[in-house]
Amino acid sequence: MASYTEERFELRGIETVVQIAGEGDPLVFLHGAGTVTGFDSLLPLAERFRLIVPFHPGFGPSADDTTVDDIHDYRRHYLDLFDELELEQIALAGHSLGGWLAANFAADHSERVTRLVLAAPFGLKVDDHPTTDFLAIPGDQLPPYLTADMSIFEGHVPMPPTPEFLADRYRESTSAARLMWTRPYDLKLHRWLHRLTMPTLLLWGDADRLIPVEQAPVWAELIPGAEVKTLPGVGHLMFDESREAVDAVGSFVGEGLTV
Amino acid sequence: MNVFDDIQFYLFNHHHYIDEPPDSDRYDSTWVSYPNANFNAEVAHELYQRWTREMLLAEELGFDAIAVNEHHQTIYSMQPATSVRAAYLAALTKRVKILVAGVPINLSWPSRVAEEYAMLDVMSNGRMEFGFPLGTGMEYWSNAGQLNPTTARARFRENLGVILKTWTEDGPVRHDGEFYNYRFLNVWPRPMQKPHPKIYIVGSGSQETVDVATDFRAGYSIVFTPIEQQLKAMANFREAAEAKGWTVQPDDTIFTVICYVADTDEEAVREARPHIEKFFSWMHRVPPQFLSPPGYVSRSEFLRRAQSAALADGTRATWEDMVSIGRIICGSPDTVADTLSHWAQEAQCSRMLMVLQHGDMPEWKAVKNMHMFAKEVIPRVRARSSSGEAAKVLAGVK
Repeated sequence: MASYTEERFELRGIETVVQIAGEGDPLVFLHGAGTVTGFDSLLPLAERFRLIVPFHPGFGPSADDTTVDDIHDYRRHYLDLFDELELEQIALAGHSLGGWLAANFAADHSERVTRLVLAAPFGLKVDDHPTTDFLAIPGDQLPPYLTADMSIFEGHVPMPPTPEFLADRYRESTSAARLMWTRPYDLKLHRWLHRLTMPTLLLWGDADRLIPVEQAPVWAELIPGAEVKTLPGVGHLMFDESREAVDAVGSFVGEGLTV
Repeated sequence: MNVFDDIQFYLFNHHHYIDEPPDSDRYDSTWVSYPNANFNAEVAHELYQRWTREMLLAEELGFDAIAVNEHHQTIYSMQPATSVRAAYLAALTKRVKILVAGVPINLSWPSRVAEEYAMLDVMSNGRMEFGFPLGTGMEYWSNAGQLNPTTARARFRENLGVILKTWTEDGPVRHDGEFYNYRFLNVWPRPMQKPHPKIYIVGSGSQETVDVATDFRAGYSIVFTPIEQQLKAMANFREAAEAKGWTVQPDDTIFTVICYVADTDEEAVREARPHIEKFFSWMHRVPPQFLSPPGYVSRSEFLRRAQSAALADGTRATWEDMVSIGRIICGSPDTVADTLSHWAQEAQCSRMLMVLQHGDMPEWKAVKNMHMFAKEVIPRVRARSSSGEAAKVLAGVK
């Protein structure tokens, strides 16, 4: 199995850490609002692609940037990063918060995104099947919303949680709150999803308690020609829970390759 | 001049909502999410009447000031609009100063707070003082998402700057800030006291509030933390002010003291203890999530709080813990007067914010406590003033 090497970039004075593994066409993965379980579960993708997993500002080993408080600050941050990495065209995958970000990036820079995977993306306001407001859930009660399989936290979460561990979670919640405290969805997103003209896959666990799978058809209706794949019995942290989720990304992105 | 020459006593009353339901154990919070179906307006009306009686009694008994504050969505306080309460009390009093400590200014607009407070100062004939709190973490959960805790501290600084600017500079002036853009900042009325009423930053001792207070050359008022911490924070405040080129005066700091006085130490503890325990276990029942919404404190401050037993929430503390860390002083007039005098001397602080009504304490006890404090403790502390000491010397000569 491939492993990550870590690269560090100074972007507007903010240290940004990127994990990179494998060779081939670039596949960028934008993570969600927490980094507790890490990204080793994605490594099978490095067998076929150059897998690039950046840590957002304010998450994991990347530095804080209190001025990144808007989805378009994130989007432009990634324009800078992709320039640094000399990436012209990419396959883009985003999970949860990263899915919202990936959708925005692809809508605004459709010429740079060859194929798009939105994995349980955050962002749409769906009144009949609302996203759980995770900022309103006490930290110790959050895990069951993320997964039904608590074993995925083994080795990642100290029991009982140490003050350091809790402070790290608090810091990542703070970074998420900069973006999402005002409202935990994006009121304008639905107007722009028609700009996702690249082949797009919506990937969703049907046991997702954070962002219900019933939102998938709402996204699909707004994105021209989007495919939907649901994963039976899988929760929000789909890539930790399900190898099938990882493989689904690989085969969808791989279809676009001219081998 | 010693610290006792101008020592002043403020009576503070939480304005609790006292009506604990029989199934109170099942609620994990009495803040933010405590069901307001449990609110009874008749009970609240009686309580407002009672709190008014106690505040007015303070003026009669010779306290120097009365103090009110603001919290939201909680049985802890029935003052979600503290200026309203202050206006009511201003109309019913003649002599006492009124400390409003205060509107968490982030919950309002700075010009509006400047206007409300100026109104109070003019209406009360210049009897107002104002404390500016950031607002507890709970206030950020109790208000619309427009108030993002991640920007609370930056917004607080800007708000405070706007208020002082419009009070002290002749308008209209322009303000171009990160959060507010005033094209014509020009409040009317302006305060009666010049350049403006005495102000304090309300904090719990964190470096962040000390920095704000010293930057704005404001006073510093410490809320419910153990006395040792209050003393430490005051020393820190004093040093930080010196480093910024100004000297803290005795009236620039306010202590908060949870206090009960009776004939003997034993009687004081016996009468007060159940009510003070009720205060911590019921009125102050707050889960950690509400105390620290995301971004309300920095990661390092979060870690400091998570690692410090002394900062752990009072809900779980034992009586012995609370006494030993100096959260509480219960005792005879001599015990209380000696302890307060020691703190005043050590911190060079001449302002004492006295909490004399605790939790579900009945009116008779709170009133008795106020009488004991006013008649037995205040004179004992005041006797340490320069003139008091001189009188003692003279008496000895005779």
